Amino acid sequence: MKLEKEDLLKLYRNLARARVLDQLAIKMLSEGKFMGFYHSAFGGEAPGVGGTTFLRQDDYIYPHHRGHGIPHACGKGGDLQPFFAEHCGKATGTTKGMTGFHGCDPEHGMYGGGGTIGSAFPLSVGWALAAKKNGRGQVSVCFFGDGSMGRGTFHEAMNMAANWKLPVVWVCENNGMGQYVPIKDAYPLDDIANMASAYGIPGVVVDGQDVVAVAEAVVAAVERAREGKGPSLIECKCLRFRSHAEGIPDWYHAEKRSEEEVKELMKRCPVALYRNRLLEQGLLTQEDAERIDRELAEEAAEIERQCDEAPFPDPSVLENAVYA
Amino acid sequence: MRQIMYLQAINEALNEEMKRDDKVFIIGESVQGSAFNTTAGLVQKYGVDRVMDTPIAESGIAGAAVGAAMAGYRPVADLMFADFMYCCADEVFLKAAMWHFMHAKKVNVPLVFKACIGGYARLSNEHSRCPSAMVMHHPGLKLVQPSTPYDAKGLMKTAIRDDNPVCFFYHKMLLPLTGDVPEEEYTIPFGVAEVKKEGTDVTVVATSFQVHQVLAVAAELEGRISVEVIDPRTLEPLDMETILKSVEKTGRVVIVDEDTERCGVGAEIGMQIVEKAFDLLDAPPKRVCSGNMPIPGASLEQYCLPSAQKIKAAIESLMD
Repeated sequence: MKLEKEDLLKLYRNLARARVLDQLAIKMLSEGKFMGFYHSAFGGEAPGVGGTTFLRQDDYIYPHHRGHGIPHACGKGGDLQPFFAEHCGKATGTTKGMTGFHGCDPEHGMYGGGGTIGSAFPLSVGWALAAKKNGRGQVSVCFFGDGSMGRGTFHEAMNMAANWKLPVVWVCENNGMGQYVPIKDAYPLDDIANMASAYGIPGVVVDGQDVVAVAEAVVAAVERAREGKGPSLIECKCLRFRSHAEGIPDWYHAEKRSEEEVKELMKRCPVALYRNRLLEQGLLTQEDAERIDRELAEEAAEIERQCDEAPFPDPSVLENAVYA
Repeated sequence: MRQIMYLQAINEALNEEMKRDDKVFIIGESVQGSAFNTTAGLVQKYGVDRVMDTPIAESGIAGAAVGAAMAGYRPVADLMFADFMYCCADEVFLKAAMWHFMHAKKVNVPLVFKACIGGYARLSNEHSRCPSAMVMHHPGLKLVQPSTPYDAKGLMKTAIRDDNPVCFFYHKMLLPLTGDVPEEEYTIPFGVAEVKKEGTDVTVVATSFQVHQVLAVAAELEGRISVEVIDPRTLEPLDMETILKSVEKTGRVVIVDEDTERCGVGAEIGMQIVEKAFDLLDAPPKRVCSGNMPIPGASLEQYCLPSAQKIKAAIESLMD
């Protein structure tokens, strides 16, 4: 698939939207509207957006916790308002207030979220199994952070999927930090993509701050998977501009990441980089960019307003909720 | 009526359900050859895509089953020994059991976790456990523990057809046990206990292999003490109504379950009896369970697990 102008602009809009909505989440949490926690994707929106924008509606994805699925849903499709309503604990949320933060949109291939890092790996194998059995060419794309590659589930799933040539694409969003533990102190090699060769599957490293580079790599891997050629591993080297979770200091082991260091990282803001590139290439005008900013700001305001107005769930929803 | 073995009854149930619904598939280690012969002969009928041999990867097996179930399939994830469930606790207890509730009933997990339980084969602690209480404890998991071939077949069919995750625990000592099983198709509903033997003096609630130990003791006591033996068959859902009806008749109850005593199945059922039928009791409930220790192997195993002697002593102590 070659990316045409409308594809490139779609990527931009999804990316800009992911940024605006991530910022909205930070704001709503700080104002006490969100009931739980939030792990911002600020600076790291490109892998989620690039990895989902060109998927089919019936492809399965697992969006991991950084951004709570916002960048991934921006690319995959579906209404983002319920994601915010869920964080506010409202009955109109993705899980009707039952979890307070997990996304769930089966119509767009997002079956849910869990709280144990690395639990998605075997689930993604299961979705890939279903995809293979369905015979419609669906794929299962599993997004994960560098922090999760240490789990045993990673090995089991990589092995099973490679062995059975399942249609799964493993997309690692390596921002260098697993909570407070840098990946360089959690894995002996520089590239997580090295894990691929152990299973005989392709492993590539891409610039995770470049949404087009991510998109192209994922599209190629997805096509491979759809053709029955099995899984691939794509490692996106990306960045995390904020701390692991909102309200917590930006720990790096027992020290704080320095503000100077973070400022330096922010020079590679994926949204600014892409916008400037599109402006330079004449694919986007300044007016377009500003119009998009205005529309996104309006959407954000509307999302927040609907959150404020929605009701909390009645406790009676807890009855008969355990079993189908 | 024809008599078939317990392991054969399970095999027949799997075969019938796989024939009936092509969404049903089996996934696990060594399922094609079949570790206990419960899945023998099925790969020849249904092929390698529906009877899937995997590497040793419990989290992978259980998690893949959960994912496939959410996406509309009906897997039977064969974990072989229930002890191995500890290797996939996240997938079984947090994902399979709880995602339906967590995601506001928007996803279903219609799968069966199949595994053998129990001791008396002297295989030591990591091949002999009955994680029954742990399963009962986690909301969202149904639990089936058949004691006869008839129960095993009917309950496995129901388990596969249930839209919820079901742990199907079959006792390894029961595999060669023969019993009456009709040719005609039948299913057994969950939450219906069976009075395996009627009596008037003492109610004994027994699970799985213990049903047979208790029946043997009851036969020995016949004439002196009249024992009523109740087999819950499913621990979740649990048929307390049948148990309480019996307690109303006898006023005395012993729970015999092979899982560890502390916080075990006996603790739960005993407490429910006290809560709901205190006035009906002539004596406190008793429980005969495995000792509060890991399960020893070899010659020491017998001192930990429920024995005919301990069961008899418990029943007799209620008659003083």
